[in-house]
Amino acid sequence: MTEERQEMFLTEEEQKMLNGGFGPTVQKCMKVLVKLGEIYGAERMIKVKSAHSPGVSYRVAGDAGLHYVLDSSEDARFCIPCTLNTIGIDEKQWEEVGFDRDFAQNQLKLTAAYEKMGAIPCNTCTPYLSGFTPMLGQHVAWGESSAVAFVNSVLGARTNREGGPTALAAAVCGRVPEYGLHLDENRKATCHIDVQVEMKTDKDYAVLGYFVGGVVGQGVPVITGIERRPSMENFKTLGAAAASAGAVALYHVVGFTPEAPTYEAVVGKEIETVVFGQKEYDKICEKFSLTGPIDFVVIGCPHASILEIEAVAKLLDGKRVKTGFWVCTSRQVRELADRMGYVKVLEDAGVEIICDTCPVLCCTLDRGYKTIATNSGKMAHYAPGLWKLQPVLLTVENCVKVALEGKWEGEA
Amino acid sequence: MSEKKILQGRCIVEGSAEGYALVTHDCISFMGTVNPKTGQIIERKHEIEGEFLKDRILVFPQSKGSTGGSYMLYDVVKNGVGPRGIINRAAESVVTIGAIVAELPMVDKINIDEIHTGDYIRLNATEGTVEITRE
Repeated sequence: MTEERQEMFLTEEEQKMLNGGFGPTVQKCMKVLVKLGEIYGAERMIKVKSAHSPGVSYRVAGDAGLHYVLDSSEDARFCIPCTLNTIGIDEKQWEEVGFDRDFAQNQLKLTAAYEKMGAIPCNTCTPYLSGFTPMLGQHVAWGESSAVAFVNSVLGARTNREGGPTALAAAVCGRVPEYGLHLDENRKATCHIDVQVEMKTDKDYAVLGYFVGGVVGQGVPVITGIERRPSMENFKTLGAAAASAGAVALYHVVGFTPEAPTYEAVVGKEIETVVFGQKEYDKICEKFSLTGPIDFVVIGCPHASILEIEAVAKLLDGKRVKTGFWVCTSRQVRELADRMGYVKVLEDAGVEIICDTCPVLCCTLDRGYKTIATNSGKMAHYAPGLWKLQPVLLTVENCVKVALEGKWEGEA
Repeated sequence: MSEKKILQGRCIVEGSAEGYALVTHDCISFMGTVNPKTGQIIERKHEIEGEFLKDRILVFPQSKGSTGGSYMLYDVVKNGVGPRGIINRAAESVVTIGAIVAELPMVDKINIDEIHTGDYIRLNATEGTVEITRE
């Protein structure tokens, strides 16, 4: 016989939600949450302060997801702040960029349905750069694999990897089942990563992240051996790559992330140590290496911060790129970049600044590109399958060099 | 002569299904690993790159990657090109959520090394059992 499922304790209000007392969508949502809770052995529901919804690109939701959300929006409203992840088009210039009209119409319908329920349409995978920053110990219901890794690891908030339907359910019901990373015992490290290379560049963090994701799967890695404090952008890159190669939702970096002041603080029992040395570094790079002509460069996966945009603008000031070149960011950050003069510098150099979307989640374009250079492990991971592009993973400086020369000839 | 065995796992989503197994030891992110319109595996260098999910019993260790994968699994199934059932070693939330809304029979806690591509599978997810028939 299969294991008996424990019934969850529900409050009177939660029971009423489940029984349909708050309408059919609340009921449908509560059913999904209860089912999930029973599968993972949750004893009760826990209130969450915010939700961040993934699967809001029509490319990801498809018609099935679109109808699921449209149906929900008929009668349900969000009872907690719910931000929207990266969508499938740039809302303000989708025609100029060349996104398909039918796709764009469906995307706008999907976004409108979320907004009808009360969603905050920041349309970004980095809502934590737009003022939505969960705090240490706070329970939230977030999707977007890179954002999940960021809020758990760097901010110390608590979320499982929510999919589109459960982020929606959490936003409607204000709750999630209490299991997984909401509980102290599951936030302990399950694997030790001993970094033996010097961590200097954005690429180094992408490579480390990709390695970690492949090693630990859905475990919790604790990383030691990083000497200099990583920047916010370094953490963003690391988590995104780890959550692409694996299902990493939480990592600790001893001395630098809030739950890991010491190694002992996050290690309960004895765990396996895996070395990340030069050999391991080179093996990951081999997966994302090519030389010769490059026709597309992408910076901003996850969406670029203002400092990342500043760095690219400084490297390109007064120059002209020979490749397609996207800098992807949120509309909020773009506004700041415009005010600071970086948008003009980049556009004069031939760069397209793409908001609301990115190559991983947008409607694909037929521009004849075959190769891509990026500083993102996540972008490099998804590019071959989603866009049939052969990727090369480089530092931001080398990405710009490639854009100016139209080719990559390997490290000098 | 055909060989038969039964494995016992844990019910994730109730229901039953049967069909030929498609087995991989690589993890799957429905977003990025699968084309939702055709049900084909598109992730480069994935162990089952190029295979189609339609009507198979899909056997893999667990989900990875994008949380968009929940809707994408739902979409693949709704498009009629999805698997008939899922067998995992350890069900991770993204695929679990997708299977719940798609009402796709699913079990986990199965030693997937015991199943080979091409085995005929009778999946009774409600009871958590996987019956394997190998020609």
